[in-house]
Amino acid sequence: MAMRDLVTGATSCPDPAAPSASNPLGALANALVGSSSKTQERLKEIPTSTPTSSGYHFYSQTRDSVNELPGSEFDKPFPDGNSQGSQFFHSFRSANRGDLEDTWDEIQRLHGSPAQGRVGQIPISELDRSGTPQRVLSSFLHSFLDSGRGGIPFHPTSLPLLGLSEGDKQCIRDRSSIMARHLFADKSEEFIDAQLNALLCSLDIESTNHAKGPAPGIFRELEDYWNESQGNLKPGNHAADGWITEYRQHRETHDNPDAWAHSFEQQYGVNGWVSEFEQSQLSSADHIRGVNISNLAAMEQTRMLANTLAQNHDPKFQNSKFLQFVSKMSRGELIIDDNQVKETALPSSGNWAAEYQQHFNHGPTWADEFLNDKACLNTVIILPQFQVSHVPEQWATEFTTEEQHRAIDDQWVNEFSKLHVNDWVEEFGEQVGEGAFGENSADNWAQAYDEYINEQVAGKQHSDGSRGVYVFSDLNPYAGHPNPLKEGQELFRKGLLSEAVLALEAEVLKNSENVEAWRLLGIAHAENDDDQQAIAAMMRAQEADPTNLEVLLALGVSHTNELEQAAALKYLYGWLCNHSKYRTLAPPELSDSLYYADVARLFNEAAEISPDDADVHIVLGVLYNLSREYDKAILSFQRALRLKPQDYSLWNKLGATQANSIQSAEAIMAYQQALDLKPNYVRAWANMGISYANQGNYEESIRYYVRALTMNPKAENAWQYLRISLSCASRNDMMEACDSRNLDLLQKEFPLQ
Amino acid sequence: MPVFKAPFNGYSVKFSPFYENRVAVATAQNFGILGNGRLHVLDLSPDPGLPISELVAYDTADGVYDVAWSESHDSLLVAAVADGSVKLYDLALPPTANPIRSFHEHTREVHSADYNPVRRDSFLTSSWDDTIKLWTMDRPTSVRTFKEHVYCVYSSVWNPRHGDIFASASGDCTVRIWDVREPGSTMILPAHEFEILACDWNKYDDCIIATASVDKSIKVWDVRNHRLPITVLNGHGYAVRRIKFSPHVRNLMVSCSYDMTVCMWDFMVEDALVSRYDHHTEFAVGVDMSVLVEGLMASTGWDELVYVWQHGTDPRAP
Repeated sequence: MAMRDLVTGATSCPDPAAPSASNPLGALANALVGSSSKTQERLKEIPTSTPTSSGYHFYSQTRDSVNELPGSEFDKPFPDGNSQGSQFFHSFRSANRGDLEDTWDEIQRLHGSPAQGRVGQIPISELDRSGTPQRVLSSFLHSFLDSGRGGIPFHPTSLPLLGLSEGDKQCIRDRSSIMARHLFADKSEEFIDAQLNALLCSLDIESTNHAKGPAPGIFRELEDYWNESQGNLKPGNHAADGWITEYRQHRETHDNPDAWAHSFEQQYGVNGWVSEFEQSQLSSADHIRGVNISNLAAMEQTRMLANTLAQNHDPKFQNSKFLQFVSKMSRGELIIDDNQVKETALPSSGNWAAEYQQHFNHGPTWADEFLNDKACLNTVIILPQFQVSHVPEQWATEFTTEEQHRAIDDQWVNEFSKLHVNDWVEEFGEQVGEGAFGENSADNWAQAYDEYINEQVAGKQHSDGSRGVYVFSDLNPYAGHPNPLKEGQELFRKGLLSEAVLALEAEVLKNSENVEAWRLLGIAHAENDDDQQAIAAMMRAQEADPTNLEVLLALGVSHTNELEQAAALKYLYGWLCNHSKYRTLAPPELSDSLYYADVARLFNEAAEISPDDADVHIVLGVLYNLSREYDKAILSFQRALRLKPQDYSLWNKLGATQANSIQSAEAIMAYQQALDLKPNYVRAWANMGISYANQGNYEESIRYYVRALTMNPKAENAWQYLRISLSCASRNDMMEACDSRNLDLLQKEFPLQ
Repeated sequence: MPVFKAPFNGYSVKFSPFYENRVAVATAQNFGILGNGRLHVLDLSPDPGLPISELVAYDTADGVYDVAWSESHDSLLVAAVADGSVKLYDLALPPTANPIRSFHEHTREVHSADYNPVRRDSFLTSSWDDTIKLWTMDRPTSVRTFKEHVYCVYSSVWNPRHGDIFASASGDCTVRIWDVREPGSTMILPAHEFEILACDWNKYDDCIIATASVDKSIKVWDVRNHRLPITVLNGHGYAVRRIKFSPHVRNLMVSCSYDMTVCMWDFMVEDALVSRYDHHTEFAVGVDMSVLVEGLMASTGWDELVYVWQHGTDPRAP
């Protein structure tokens, strides 16, 4: 009744009590209104306000209420034949069932349900996506937004723990496409698509052909029909058909991947991007070949976005983090490359020019570092026996022998091509003249230079081949040491991890089958917060002795840290197979196809057999981290700690797990325990920093990162975290010190109380 | 007035219909594009000088886009989650027992939830999967699915007077009026030329509805005369994200927008814009008015802040 009054008003409505057969809707409504008035009475008996939780019962009397609730019958099959409404329903349903529904079904199939699309989502835990990667992404985005305000160029860093799954990408694609349409409603569809392409392209996400398309727009047919029907009927078939056609047309245009290219060419001419590229002082044809045209085009489009935003003069609007997020991402200043995210920072090919320029600008710093190295070279007694043979080292060697800056290798000159080499040489000469020798280790330079070269040759060189290959430090002072293993163990015991690494490397260079040296090397790298090197070393240890339990456990942990579940499971299962007490538990056929659940079950059995074996609880804790059941992981580590309270690495594991389950305060307590036991534990210092950052205490986190880096300047992750925290704490003034890795300055600025 | 800083970007804020000092806030990480969500329940101190305290917070695996308080039980909350789930929370139970229900029927992001204020036994959710679903507390599945919109449904709101009638706002540029006793929508209102993000019913005149669109305008309609709006309110600089009629004054409405402002309107006077609040530094996407305290307002936005203030005062005033 109320509905009818509401919609049509009393005057225009026929007598509701006398529906005619010609108005099946009215008849139907009447039938339903009759039944629902009873329902309403019944429902009034239910107390309407019950300020305690005990007064209601879920799922009780289900059948009753289902039957009583008006409208519930519509989701059930309609009785066919004789009811007055049936004909109406028939047409109603067929209108919905035609092309419209087919098309949507097709779309839905393309999409899949969100649950299917979200790889890595584990239904058991509500917090499964709350792990470190997510937070790294978040802080990263924020740092990068902030960098815009300070006017400091954002340096795309690698995100060590970040991997966007296909589901995540789908999610970003779909949501940003819907949100972009809210923002740019008054722009053309092409414009919106261009924005989206730019954004998605920068994120290495395929563009929109699977995403939810735009709204179908206004149907003129619908409106006409509407006026005819005086608002009392629904759109018929032809409105739906119109929409279908429109949608199909739309999809066709959007499915054409060349569409954007055409529009770009129209704007800039076919060679537009080339000439622009040339402007950026690039001459090497090799590099140009590597450039991804789509990136450039996308970035070009983004300049249009920036212009659009600039039209709004509200300073607040100009400072919007979200808009900066969109525009900076579109400019390609943020690169998330799923495949290479764990590798060294690689600027996208499109961004290469900017990168190159930036590095050129940093010339003096580089020279400074080089200078330091030169100082070190003079003190090194024996030249390294092991060197990865590529250009930079050759050049470095040549340079060392000649000790003259004029002897610059031709290749090197070529790399700098048109850049102002002379300026640089002068500067370098000046500094040599001043004799400004620093204290930084040779490694620092080698690393910075390596990175630089890597970026130069990124387009053609970088491959996954480097993964799992142990990279030795250059210029090892322990190379001639009589007993580097003993020295390494001693240094490790004292907590001088970086020094221990050098000594142990000297040992394994002498004796490549020394399991203990490789193992200790791996542990030293892990404690120094370098999982890549840790894994590489541990793999060498495992080659030398495939059954070493400590090695297998360490490999499992390191792979867990790198979010590599399959590999982690393999080694943890290997641990079980090679353990004298538990190997009977492990059925040999299992090793062919390892499933998380099987491995977890086996370890639970092992824990029942010997509840006092701390190692089993440790493995269980690691496994629960893999499945992101952090509560269980915490319990396992706590159990292990009761058995091994002096194990500092165990305290660190507990802390990391607590951090992952958003218990930053507890995590800091655990890390503190680890540091009390082992003050030079770089990883715990860095983790402490992460926990403070997660609590929003960026200033404090900086102090911890700096402390960790002072102990190991090679902890790449920590440098990136430091950068993020610096920008979150609005300390852009120290960004330069961070980029040039000026630890002296950073230490002075951020002393740890 | 008190301010609360959430760790994620704010998406929605709602006053409790039972306690004048309580609000629920829905938040999502990374602007709701990717990441986790968190549902906060906050208690305001009776002394405005004291900070807002957090009663409880629930974490979700995806962003929370909207929240609705139960009209029948003071401790019940419905959350609309971006992963397509609809979750029920009970504040009276320990955090480990929550959510007490998680319904997985929507196949896309759930964008709004609205509890029936008249019948008090059911609620609606609307989703980017183009459907609206009707739920009751006592059923494990939805009671009904309303599938007529041809694009995302951003909001669906019960009529404050008639317990079986609701309106839905969609990206297909229409608002539809439904009676749950009828098989399909009763009325289609092509209210804007662009996507419609929100709609609300007047609390004093059950025939008046307001619609908010990405075309930056708010329109007020009398559903008995759907050809022409009663009025068109211009003033927002970007898409209008939410619209809400005052529970106390017939002609007052509050809106929030991607232009980062919250606006109060009197739709019956010539100069409709009553006041503009400029306190957010990112998109303002959530706004509510207290039913229990006249003039008390709350807003949230992507700047992660939740403001609660008395209409006419500066939200940022200490």
